[in-house]
Parts: sequence; structure tokens; C-alpha cells
Amino acid sequence: MVALTGPEPALELRGVTKRFGRVTALEDVSLTVSRGEILAIVGDNGAGKSTLIKAISGVHRPDEGEILVEGEPVTLSSPADARSAGIATVFQDLALVECLDVSTNMFLGQFPRRGWFVDRKKMDLESRRFLDELKVTVADVHTQIGMLSGGQRQIISIARAVRAGATTILLDEPTAALGVRETMHAGNIIATLREANNAVICVSHDIEFVFKIADRIVVMRLGKVAGIRTVAETTRDEIIALITGTKQEAA
Amino acid sequence: MTANGATTTTASGPRSASLGQTPRPGALAWLTRFLRDRAQLAGLVAVLIGLLAVFQIGNPVFLSTGNILEILRASTLYFIVACPMTLVLVSGGLDFSAGALFATGGVSAGLMMVAGVPWPLAVILGVGVGCALGAINAWLSVHLRVPPLIATLGMFFVASGTITLITSGSSVYGFPKAFTDLGQGFLLGVPFLVLYAVIIGVVFWILLEKTSLGYDARAVGGNRAAASANGIRVNRHDLIIYSMMGGIAALAGIMGAARLSSANPAAGGTALTFQVVTAVIIGGTSLFGGIGSIGGSALGALLFAVINNGLVVINVNSLAQNIFVGVILVSAVAIDQFRRRRQFTSRR
Repeated sequence: MVALTGPEPALELRGVTKRFGRVTALEDVSLTVSRGEILAIVGDNGAGKSTLIKAISGVHRPDEGEILVEGEPVTLSSPADARSAGIATVFQDLALVECLDVSTNMFLGQFPRRGWFVDRKKMDLESRRFLDELKVTVADVHTQIGMLSGGQRQIISIARAVRAGATTILLDEPTAALGVRETMHAGNIIATLREANNAVICVSHDIEFVFKIADRIVVMRLGKVAGIRTVAETTRDEIIALITGTKQEAA
Repeated sequence: MTANGATTTTASGPRSASLGQTPRPGALAWLTRFLRDRAQLAGLVAVLIGLLAVFQIGNPVFLSTGNILEILRASTLYFIVACPMTLVLVSGGLDFSAGALFATGGVSAGLMMVAGVPWPLAVILGVGVGCALGAINAWLSVHLRVPPLIATLGMFFVASGTITLITSGSSVYGFPKAFTDLGQGFLLGVPFLVLYAVIIGVVFWILLEKTSLGYDARAVGGNRAAASANGIRVNRHDLIIYSMMGGIAALAGIMGAARLSSANPAAGGTALTFQVVTAVIIGGTSLFGGIGSIGGSALGALLFAVINNGLVVINVNSLAQNIFVGVILVSAVAIDQFRRRRQFTSRR
């Protein structure tokens, strides 16, 4: 599938480096992702994937390097900054409030208001509409998150990212807690995001899943980019070799 | 939005018409939700009615208008403090300094009035002192990472110690009549204090249920990390909530001073703190954040006053009230834990 590339990549990292004391978690990481593209980030534990996600989502500030959104350099010093730059993150631990219902969670931090009051009706209607758009079946938007399955929660988290008006959506291990059917469903929803011309970055351990949904793959190893491949032009063996370091590219 | 334009218009039409057209599943879902949300309150109401019946049988004077007003008046100051306390607990916090800030409000406004400051200004400044001390509570817990339990406990000792020192432990009195009238007057037979409590209760109900402050409170209390990750400014939220808590506690102390025509540095204290926190928890507000209601807190405060008053009216040693309260408190929390276990099938 050919990506609908705009004039500028939706998100670009140039030489991003992040150190924690004497540990270099990310070293000179450069990558781009365009609208209508799904970019997978793979790598072994400790390869720097989580740090990378956190740098893009504004949790960690890089020590060196630049982050550009639609070609413009941005400073992301908080998750709120990232959100206003159009980057939404669906964290591994989902960041949902269990004791609140679906529509409240969909609007967390951005409750629609009418005058001084939260516009509950608008919240419910729009939640319903977004979930319908993603072909998600939730019987009642007043259902508490605590009553939903892991897969349903994942889907609500993704729907929330879209609703928040994000153009770049980061998914941190979207299938980690899901069963086979739920993984398929999540894959379909991620494909829906691409069709809606979003840029999607998906960090995953699941090579099969990555090959099924992604357009390109960035392989991380020891905090560096070990290689970038187009899915159509690579093999599982090559990716695994890059992850484990048995195949290395000259810098 | 536009796609739903038609639906919105119909729904906002005349109430009677839309009610008639409401499909049964919707109405049923609404009813289920309504009952689910109020399951614990229903239990509390049942306990209250049971107690009312027992006390009424024990002494027919119990439900006389005079005694009902007495019960209401006894519960008002607790309820007023319980309102912001509900918001604090829903936000996942705790404030043990409430009793001391209560006394601090009364004493500081009192000292100012005695020193000749016009009473309206003294009231405002007294509330301001409460807000400032509440803000310090928030600062301690947010920036110095002192858990709210410890930060507010520390504040309790510092605030009550300070006012005891300033007043040498004796009451402050000699307030203008216009001020004391506000705490002692009646409107159509109802004490002003009860009216203030109703107004404050309505304001806090709206805050918790209808405004984004209340929605934020539930999110912050339900999952602080999630709230923060989704752009809710959790530290700012704490600052607002604790300042409000301090301000209202001080206001209640000032009302108490107006009612008694004197402000005592030992007013409120641990008794008020514990009774308010207990009333809020009995009312179904979770100590673990996210869940709670002003209506529940009102019932909790009322339950206290009913037990206290009822035991006296039926000639049982009123010291026995603590036994009742202890049993009810633990039962309420046990029910809350049970609810959480049943409802939330958490992955972790």
C-alpha cells in the first residue's frame, strides 16, 4: 500500500539523544512518519523503544536533537504540549480512569463545556459518533471502563486519541494484553486510522502483527536505529537479525 | 456533530413529548444506572429511617419540629465542612487539618473584629487565611511530596498551636451584633445556619456533578497518572481543591463563632476533623478517590446528628454514640471495598 505522503512528514525526529545519568537511552535517533502511514518500531527489551515513545509524547525531553511536526520544530516538555502539537499517545497502561464511564474517559482533560458546565449531552453524542466511526460496538457510553475487557479498553484509548484531534498517534504495545480476536480488531482499527490520513507509530514486540499492519519498520537496538525497512521489501528473518544484532548496518 | 443535529433538536423539545417517545431500553438503562449509582445511599437512607423509627418509638418528642430543627442545626457545620472534604476525597486526597482551620477561621476573623476591622472584611480575611493554609497543604503534598495525610496532620498541629499561642488558649469575644445575628437568626422559623448549609451544599453539588472541576476531581482521584497523561493539570487541581477546603473550613468556623458569639481556639479540632471525614466516608465517598457524592455526605452528617440527638432523647448515655459510629463507618468502607471488587475487573 502506497502511503499518501504530504509535502512534509507529519512527525520527524532528527538526531534525538536522551541520557539518564551515564546511561544513554537514545543515541542519535532519526526517523520520519507521514500521514497515511503506519510506522512500526520494534526492538528487544531495553532497546530504547519506551524512551523513544516518551520523548515523542512529551514525557521526557531529549538532551539533543530536534522534533519536527509538519516540518516545524517543536518543544515538547509535557504531555499537554504533545497533545496540542497533534500527537496523541495510547500508553501501554492505557491511562483510563476505571471508575468513570466511556464518554467521560473519551473527553478526559478536554471536557466540552456550555457556559460554566460540562456539556454531558454533547460528550455522549460525540463519543457515540467516534466509536461508530471506528466501528466499535459499545452498548452504552455510560458503561464504566472497569467493566470492559482489555481489548475494549484498548479500543476506547485509541478512539480517544482520534477524538482529541490528533494527527500523529503513538501506540505503545497495543496488542500486549489482547487475545487473538481482539488483536485482529485492534489491527483493523489501526488500519482505519491510516485510512483517515493519520500518521501512526506503533511500538510492538509482535513481529507477526507488525508485518500485518505496518508500512515501514524501524528497528531499535541499544538505543540506536539499527535499520529502517519497508515491509514489502523485507523479511521476518531480516528484521529479527537486525533486532538481535546478528545483522548490522554500517553507520 | 452535524450528523446528530436532528437528534439533538428532538431531544431538547418539550419534556413531556420526548419522555413519551423515549424508547423503553433507554429508560430502563437510565433507571438501572440511577439505582446502581445510589445503591449505597439507599442503604444509608434505610439505616436512617430505622434509627428515626427507634428513636421516635423511644420518645415521641423526637420527631417534633423543634427537635428536627435542632438536629439539622447540629449537623450544619459538619455538613458545610463535609462539602469540600467530599471534593478532596473524590480527588484522591485527604485533609486532616480541617478541624484546626475551622478554629483558625473563627479566631482570626474574631481577633480582627475585636481589633476594629469591619466585620464583612474580617469574614473575608478569615476565609482568606483558611485558603492560604489550604494552599500550603497542597504545596507540601505536590512539591515536597509529603503525603496529604502527613502534610495536613502537620498543618493541624501548626495551625491549632499558633492560634492557641496567640489567644493564650482563651476564647475571643465582643463581636458586632450584625455579625452574631448572622449566626443566630431565623428565616421563617429556619435557622440561618441551615440555610447557609443548603446553599453551600447546592453549590458543591453543582461543582462536583456539573463542572469540569468536578469531572477533573473524579479523574484525578480515579487515576492520577491517567488524568495527568491526558492533560489535566493535576497539581493545579490540588491547589484549587485544598485552598477551597481551607477556605470553607474557615468559613464554617466563622459561622460557628457567630452562632456562639465567641471564637475558641479549641473549637473544631480533632473531633470535627474525624466526624467530617467519617460522615463523608459513610456517605459513600471512597477513601481511594474517584467515587463520591454531596448527597451522601449530607446523609452522613445527618446520621451523626440523628444518633447524637436520638441517644440523648431516649435517655441512652450519649457517649455510646461512638460505638454506633464506629460500626457504621467500618460497614460503609467494607461495602465500598466489596463494590470495587465486584465492579472493576482490573488487569493489574
